[in-house]
Amino acid sequence: MSSVDWKNYKPTLIPDIDGLEKIDVYEKNGGYKAFKSVLTENDKWPDEKSVIDEVKAANIRGRGGAGFNAGLKWSFMPPADGKPRYLACNGDESEPGTFKDRKIFEYNPHVFIEGALIAAYAMQVTTIYVYIRGEYLVYVKMMEKAIQDAYDKGYIGKNILGSDYSVDFYVHMGAGAYICGEETSMLESLEGKRGYPRVKPPFPAQKGLWGRPTTINNIETLAHVPSVINNGADWFSSIGAENHPGPFLYGISGHVNRPGVYELPSGVPVLDLIHEVAGGMRNDKKLKAVIPGGSSTPVVRADQLEGITMDSDSLRSVGTMVGTAGMVIMDEDTDMVDMLWRIAHFYHHESCGQCTPCREGTGWLEKVLLKIKNGEGEVKDLDLLLDVTTQMEGRTICALADAAAWPVRHTINRFRDEFEARCKKSVHAVA
Amino acid sequence: MPEVFIDGQRYEYEGDHKLLQFIQDIGLEVPFFCYHPAMSIPANCRQCMVKVGQPVQNRETGEFELDDDGNREIRWFPKLQTACNINVADGMVVRTQVTDELVQRAQKDNLEMILINHPLDCPICDQAGECPLQIQTYKYGPEGSRFEVKKVHKPKRVQLGPRVVLDAERCINCTRCTRFTQEISKTDQLTITSRGDKNYPITAPGREFDDPYSLNTVDLCPVGALTAADFRFKARVWEMNQTPSIDITNGKGCNIDIWTRDNLVLRVTPRQNEHVNDYWMPDEGRLAYTRFNENRISRPAQKLDGEQILSSWNNAIATIAEQIEEHKNEETLVIGSAHASVEENYVLSKFSNMMGLNNPVFTPHIEEGKGDGFLISDDIAPNTNGCRLLGFDEKDPKSIANQIEKASLILILSDDLIDRGVLASEHFEGKFVIAFGTNHSKTTKNADLVIPITSAAEHAASYVNVDGRIQRTIPAKETKYTNRRLNLEMSEGRLDRYGTSFDNWVTEDNKVDCMPLWLFISQVANESGLELDYSDYSAGRQIMDEIAESIPAFKGVNYQKMDEESGIQLDSSAKKVKS
Repeated sequence: MSSVDWKNYKPTLIPDIDGLEKIDVYEKNGGYKAFKSVLTENDKWPDEKSVIDEVKAANIRGRGGAGFNAGLKWSFMPPADGKPRYLACNGDESEPGTFKDRKIFEYNPHVFIEGALIAAYAMQVTTIYVYIRGEYLVYVKMMEKAIQDAYDKGYIGKNILGSDYSVDFYVHMGAGAYICGEETSMLESLEGKRGYPRVKPPFPAQKGLWGRPTTINNIETLAHVPSVINNGADWFSSIGAENHPGPFLYGISGHVNRPGVYELPSGVPVLDLIHEVAGGMRNDKKLKAVIPGGSSTPVVRADQLEGITMDSDSLRSVGTMVGTAGMVIMDEDTDMVDMLWRIAHFYHHESCGQCTPCREGTGWLEKVLLKIKNGEGEVKDLDLLLDVTTQMEGRTICALADAAAWPVRHTINRFRDEFEARCKKSVHAVA
Repeated sequence: MPEVFIDGQRYEYEGDHKLLQFIQDIGLEVPFFCYHPAMSIPANCRQCMVKVGQPVQNRETGEFELDDDGNREIRWFPKLQTACNINVADGMVVRTQVTDELVQRAQKDNLEMILINHPLDCPICDQAGECPLQIQTYKYGPEGSRFEVKKVHKPKRVQLGPRVVLDAERCINCTRCTRFTQEISKTDQLTITSRGDKNYPITAPGREFDDPYSLNTVDLCPVGALTAADFRFKARVWEMNQTPSIDITNGKGCNIDIWTRDNLVLRVTPRQNEHVNDYWMPDEGRLAYTRFNENRISRPAQKLDGEQILSSWNNAIATIAEQIEEHKNEETLVIGSAHASVEENYVLSKFSNMMGLNNPVFTPHIEEGKGDGFLISDDIAPNTNGCRLLGFDEKDPKSIANQIEKASLILILSDDLIDRGVLASEHFEGKFVIAFGTNHSKTTKNADLVIPITSAAEHAASYVNVDGRIQRTIPAKETKYTNRRLNLEMSEGRLDRYGTSFDNWVTEDNKVDCMPLWLFISQVANESGLELDYSDYSAGRQIMDEIAESIPAFKGVNYQKMDEESGIQLDSSAKKVKS
């Protein structure tokens, strides 16, 4: 395994520059250069397709958790027909353990705006929406200001920079539902409806917002686009892990000395992130477990982590996923039963209630876990929980049921002794 | 022709089909709750899971790849698919619960999930007996439940609107009701509130679910979550008799089922007919069930010294015959009715002609602006076009009043002319008025002789709707002179077949002392020495044959054809009649 040289990495998304959220400072530091180049340097970017091809070659895998090649996603948009087309930017990050996009909103909103504009131009989108979760009220205000500044500078609006390309950019605030971070559910919410995920097909690229072609990208995904345009696809794909390249925003939380968001290449060893980047375990406790990419990704035991790096291939070898790279670090004092109940509680609370297995299953999981947590569970309940997870997985419209089922299944499987210790023995009547 | 393989059987098809609908159309079954052929497909109940695959084709030759046994190699979808929203495709291979254990297991799992928060109150639930959840659970569900923790509690007995009551705990969130108000009635009055296992349908705060079609949601509800305020706790479905019929409360003629127990009509539900009402009907038509039970005229009545007293059939027959003989023909006025059937109007006009009286007149019963372009028409009467096609003289209310002033003997068929403002009670002064009717009304109250005739729930007769479609009723309740076991057309419920005299619901109490107009008129004609033989209770069939032969507009119409084709669209010239 090639080790990633993360110590000499220079951040591009959240570099250490004072006042970068101001458009002047951003421009002074090379901001909007990529967008100008795409719009005006015809020899370098003869058409929209050349932009898509470059991004596709960079292999920016979606940072919202699914890890799909962003450029490839853009290429699914049908040819422009003069009618409205949309880019919906997903800033609803609500997965427990994930708090990276807020860093962009807060410190470098323009890199996202520029990325979104390049994406919009590449797909000939007429309107951009950025959907920001309601809890981020401060960042909503900041984004609104940043977008207004970009309008004032002429980066958004009619005939941008003298070209014949025009686009509008709107902020839409969520109202506190996790499910609205699911892409099709977000579209429903943008349309002013109840956030119910849509049945696919049709996919958003065919029928999205108001039935028109729409692409949905994560905030961080789009924020990577300007540097790909400036430095080229090869530069981007040379950073970090081969199959999952580029910088990551690692959101490290939990029992470490310096929790926070760190921009580093992908493929950094998990243990390096804990012990060097995040300053080691709090109170010098022993590491017990790590959730690598938000609460829905399966938890990994400390003894599985040797040599494991933060990229999809390496994490797959221990049965988990990179997700949003929102890492939750747990020390030896962590009660896995409590932890799992809390996660199950979250998914129960957030299930939209559309599909039967998720609506009923999430509640069932939580209630049984609560019983176990309270010391009233029986060992047979653990098998029931595992059964219920198989009854939920893969049988619903969106992936919330999967997201709720995986942590339960894997936490029980990986810490079964701890769960059994909390359970009463199943008593079987003897004749 | 494209082909599809379902559980190893090959079926050919044409056009576009959703798999679940296709499976139903060929007579197979896959359980489901949220799907409805007339509405959008949300695929949210997740019950109709099946295994679906496509044959593998060679990219170059396009030929199907074969496995070692020479069978087509199938690439199965990685997950089970909901049959409701998947399109049937050429070569598709489908395994349902019949042949696939995983599918069977998935459907069972899903039912277990649905039931964990569903109250098991079937013994007191109105839906029991006609409940898709109950039926599918018996067929495909688990034997017990492993759910040992606390169920979710939600609001019960919520009066959503004047006619619909919600029990949110029974709701399985199929969204059929909310989709109905969005897509069919287009009032958008219902939505789902809350999230996850706490969600249920409700109106916006402070609003009422007073949609004129609100009761359709009760039929659509696959469980007992939505019940009719009117019918709740009235009867178990298996105690009732279900009889196909026609809605006679407006000109649209929605196809309905009449549900009776002990000869009381307890509810009316729509019956599917794509040419008329699809699956729906207005609430007004359902609530009219009371008119079959209440305020009925039972036994003839005659006015003596200004007061109506009950009389006998013999006296009624003799009195009419006498009155007609006494009065000059030109002083007699026969008024037909758009509220009565084609057969009744025909017999009345035939009798009128035989006696040398006038060709019957009638006046349509229209309420301008009442119609909504959907299933409610301006026309309040079910048979206006029937009267027109029979060649009755169509009069406006004023000229009817004028004619009445000239007459001294008046025969009025089943039409409350006083209440709807065509006549005033003063018009009857100094004249002898004979009213045929099903229910007491201002008109019958002011008549000198009242003859009770059978209602649409008691006889077989036809009505021509506003679009010129002729449809017929089937007797649903008995009269004093009929017997369910002897009338081959009447439906026999469980209790009729298996009930004993100890079953207290078989009584004489609710049988009305009335007879079909044709039967009564035949007797009057015979009394007057004329030959008119519609002496069978079920003579409607014979009368319609006679009409079809003698009146061109009804050519080819008969009961059998009406039954087979759920009504007959009369020819284009008939369609032109004013609605």
